[in-house]
Amino acid sequence: MFETLKKLKYGARVLLARGGGQPETIDVAGRSTVIIHGGDGPPFVYLHSTLGEAFMWFPFYQTWAKQFKVYAPTHPGFGASAGFDRIDTVEDMAFHYVELFDALGLEQVNLGGVSLGGWIAAEFAVRWPERVRKLWIAGAPGLWVEEEPLPDMFRYMREPAKLRELCFHEPNSAMARTIFPDDADDERRMKGYQALTVLARLVWDRPYNPKLAERLRRVQCPVLLVWGDKDRLVPPSYGEAYRKHLPQAEMKRIPNCGHLLMFEREKEFVEIVANFCK
Amino acid sequence: MQFYFFHLMSWPYLPDDFDEKYDSAWIWVPNALYDPVKGHQLYQEYIDTLAYADELGFDGVCVNEHHQNAYGLMPSPNIIAGALTQRTKRCKIAVVGNALPMYNPPLRVAEEFAMLDVMSGGRLVAGMVIGGGPEYFAYGVNPTFARERYREALDLIVKAWTTPGPFVWNGRHYFLRYVNPWPRPLQQPHPPIWIPGVGSLETIEFVAQRRYGYMGIPYFHIDVFKRTFEMFREACAKAGYTPAPEQLGWGVPIYVAETDKQAREEFEPALWYFVKNLLKGIGTTPPGYTSPKSAVAIMKNQDKFLAVQKSWDDIEKGMFAIVGSPQTVRQKLDDCLKKLGAGVVLTGCQTGATATHLARKSMELLAREVLPHFRNKVV
Repeated sequence: MFETLKKLKYGARVLLARGGGQPETIDVAGRSTVIIHGGDGPPFVYLHSTLGEAFMWFPFYQTWAKQFKVYAPTHPGFGASAGFDRIDTVEDMAFHYVELFDALGLEQVNLGGVSLGGWIAAEFAVRWPERVRKLWIAGAPGLWVEEEPLPDMFRYMREPAKLRELCFHEPNSAMARTIFPDDADDERRMKGYQALTVLARLVWDRPYNPKLAERLRRVQCPVLLVWGDKDRLVPPSYGEAYRKHLPQAEMKRIPNCGHLLMFEREKEFVEIVANFCK
Repeated sequence: MQFYFFHLMSWPYLPDDFDEKYDSAWIWVPNALYDPVKGHQLYQEYIDTLAYADELGFDGVCVNEHHQNAYGLMPSPNIIAGALTQRTKRCKIAVVGNALPMYNPPLRVAEEFAMLDVMSGGRLVAGMVIGGGPEYFAYGVNPTFARERYREALDLIVKAWTTPGPFVWNGRHYFLRYVNPWPRPLQQPHPPIWIPGVGSLETIEFVAQRRYGYMGIPYFHIDVFKRTFEMFREACAKAGYTPAPEQLGWGVPIYVAETDKQAREEFEPALWYFVKNLLKGIGTTPPGYTSPKSAVAIMKNQDKFLAVQKSWDDIEKGMFAIVGSPQTVRQKLDDCLKKLGAGVVLTGCQTGATATHLARKSMELLAREVLPHFRNKVV
């Protein structure tokens, strides 16, 4: 009963937040790209994870939108964003974003993302450091920690229980079951498969960029690293690895939190990021 | 009607509790379960059995490629085919096939197939496959490029065989300054090309347009083959021709014994070993290997696949295997072939854990008492 109420409560917040932003399609150097945006203030760009959580205006966007002008674009290949045929590597994603910022007339932004999104943000910042005012990276792969190899999530892609375990500190919570339901319909399964296809394109050959570590010195702005201290998909040691190469970075760990910080510990996560980008 | 003897070279020595203890016979199945001493004996037996098919008058023998698994022990089918060029005299040697995206550069396939064709005196059938889902896990090859690489590699190989070298290949995935393979194939313009498929419309149309052979991969319900072959004939009609019977191949395990009862007794344990152990994990499909739409469709077609069949009744009704006395097998084959209109049968004669002496006995009965009935027959 309690779990159901929690689900309903989140659903109601989603409903309330809906007024904040509607998906729009913009042209980025010939690629039609879906983007949602809302709020007022300095530009704040959120790069989504493999979940593709930029298809709707989630409550966490709404919170940020009180302080910032929030942009959440959908990566090429996800949802209805085109341009996947031009994407081979994460570096190609970074090139897409410099063109997206040009298209929107954004000279400098607060930039960050969760998981895959955080990695893309890092790849962007090493190439165009002057375009990033502040950089935050949450639960992101991109580097490799020899002692703690990343698990193969493609092996478990058809096992929702296993995915909940990898991505949530509390795999049996209402939220975990909302994100990875046991009984997904065809449309949802197809969406998931499409998203994992993009991820596989980027990471199948090698799930990190061996050149990223030494390039991180090119990042000039302040950096925040945020990790769920119980992240089993991309463990906190990966945050530490980023910190090793980013001497200016501070690392914040959120207790009792898994990989998907914005869903499992939304309040703490949103606050930490908002305070940093102030 | 042509009969090819298809050998998977399965590992028959998995422990009795394999099904309970392991989640897959593929990719991550611990290779401590492989015993090279037994393995040596097994390769001897399997190659002898393939050579025996030639003596018995089968039209051809088939070998194929799988990596890091207990289901099929030919990571390089070309090595076995090389041995067979020396052990067989007259039958075709069909490698069905090489998984093209696993070869970089795919020129290697053009070279090795040409070697086999020359070594065998022009008896090679060149099978080109995308490779099963598990191979992409096993070899770390990016599945999201599987189809693109496959098409490009196939075009490169055919061009390497048919265009005088050296020439430059400048593709999306491969760049080769000098394409100039030695040797060139003996069969001209090139060995017959067979493409195995599991019913995707995309592949069917492609094979039909190129006028290659379409080989329906075994272990599906007879209705799946029927639908697939109808789609193939339609695709050929769309391309403006009627397919030759040899363009349609049907893969099916066959076991013949003296009586129906004996056939079932001898074959059934070997089949369940195959279903319960070796098919476990064969459907481990990586993302991007097919379009999202096909991926969901495939998930829904699973009840037509051998791996989920529970009873002997299911096996018989779905024609997942043709088992019985010579008379029964004749009758069933006749019915099925009329239904399917296939001109080639790829018979799995040593499926799963079938003991070699039983496989040989079954092959003898098949060759002497069943195949003559279908000789020179066109369905």
